[in-house]
Amino acid sequence: MKYLSMLLLAWLTAFQAGQDIYICKNAKINMYSSAPIEDIEANSAGAVSVYKASTGELSFSLPIRSLHFEKSLMEEHFNENYMESDKYPKASFKGKIQSPPDVSKDGTYPVNVTGELEVHGIKQTRTIKGEIKVNGGVISMTSEFIVKCADHKIDIPQIVFHHIAENIRIRVAATYAPYKN
Amino acid sequence: MKKSIILIALLALCIGVKAQKTDTAKKEPSADSLMNSLSADDDKHEHILSAFKATRLIFSPTTEMVRKKNLNFLVIHRFGDIATGPGGARTLFGLDAVNDVYIGFEYGVSDNFNINFGRSTIGQLVELQLKYALLHQTNDDSSPLGIALMGGTGVRPYGNFGSFGDRLSYIAQAVFSRKFTQAFSLEVSPVFVSDNQPIPNEPGNENSFFSLTAAGRLKVTKHMSILVDWEHPFSNYRTSANGFQDPLGFGAEFETGGHVFTLNFTNARAISQINSLSNSQASWGRGEYRFGFTISRMFDFNRKKEKKW
Repeated sequence: MKYLSMLLLAWLTAFQAGQDIYICKNAKINMYSSAPIEDIEANSAGAVSVYKASTGELSFSLPIRSLHFEKSLMEEHFNENYMESDKYPKASFKGKIQSPPDVSKDGTYPVNVTGELEVHGIKQTRTIKGEIKVNGGVISMTSEFIVKCADHKIDIPQIVFHHIAENIRIRVAATYAPYKN
Repeated sequence: MKKSIILIALLALCIGVKAQKTDTAKKEPSADSLMNSLSADDDKHEHILSAFKATRLIFSPTTEMVRKKNLNFLVIHRFGDIATGPGGARTLFGLDAVNDVYIGFEYGVSDNFNINFGRSTIGQLVELQLKYALLHQTNDDSSPLGIALMGGTGVRPYGNFGSFGDRLSYIAQAVFSRKFTQAFSLEVSPVFVSDNQPIPNEPGNENSFFSLTAAGRLKVTKHMSILVDWEHPFSNYRTSANGFQDPLGFGAEFETGGHVFTLNFTNARAISQINSLSNSQASWGRGEYRFGFTISRMFDFNRKKEKKW
């Protein structure tokens, strides 16, 4: 019986060691724009993310239509006039965490991610600050950064009622699960 | 003996599992391809956005709905003839003469069900309509069309009628729309109109008849579109020999977020389809065309949602 438990332990370790890719299918994105007439805010829980712990490769993809606003008309304008989500249905980020932390140890790790942020079909190389938390083997990430409309050629039409600000604050929160084939 | 067999079996299982693990590790998809497969179908079956910008074009309703807890307030005007006797410069090309004014409210009970209420100058017609979005066009063409069903009734409270029943009219229609490209949308709608007392009330006129309407929208800029709207009643009485004309309108639509303005030129004097389909006698050829506009203002009564963050 002793051997059995040892073997099981060995097997468990082998399994753990094999885990490298983590995924999140319901990453939360919050978009906030402070504008003179009204603040505009949208939330999505529909972003997907993949994290490769050994190399620090990190990617996110957000379907623009999954961002929901308080007011349906705002959502329509955001999709039609600003993001042109028919043409550019997704926003994405693909990058690498500089010196990725050891995710087998619990802890909170501030990280920097460098990669390409694609919004409205325009790619920008960005270094974004974030935080990785490992708690009981569960990896989660949070980040907050600013996207400038002008950087991504998002026009702000003059006559439109719902103006969005030049700078949009984006917040990201994702909790990962080990990827199983 | 039994124990060692179990042990060996377990060991074999472990090796097997481990071998499989390394196997899959080799075949383990790259983060990129995994990302692609994960996000591949998250934009399937998405409803397309606005085949039309407003719930109405010039005459016809569209498949667009007023969203839940939104109220659309409409003010529609048709002015006097531009180029006939009473028109011309003296009436500033018809602007002094108002032929028809429609004031209406459209409320979104749900995203797919609206109640419309409105009143026209012509016939003092008060109308109540129910509109239901049966189908939405999707971006992958799993549903190639948008379909909206509408049914309504109108009452003319003033004037001399034999009985109260004679004051009533009914309208039922199905609107089929398709957004062909980002800029171009088309809709076709069979309409059934039934007037308890024929409009106009002339001997030989039919109470009930079918009609067909067709309308298109061409987006010129992000906020401006060109509209064409046409109606044709299939009626033995409403013929050009009897002086009837098919309503035909051209317009430009401007949307500014919250407001949609439509400026148009039409031959038809009436705004309500019960009136315009039943009785349109103004002719483009005789200069009996007029300027008109629609102002549509959307109010949103959705409470500010609590921040989920």
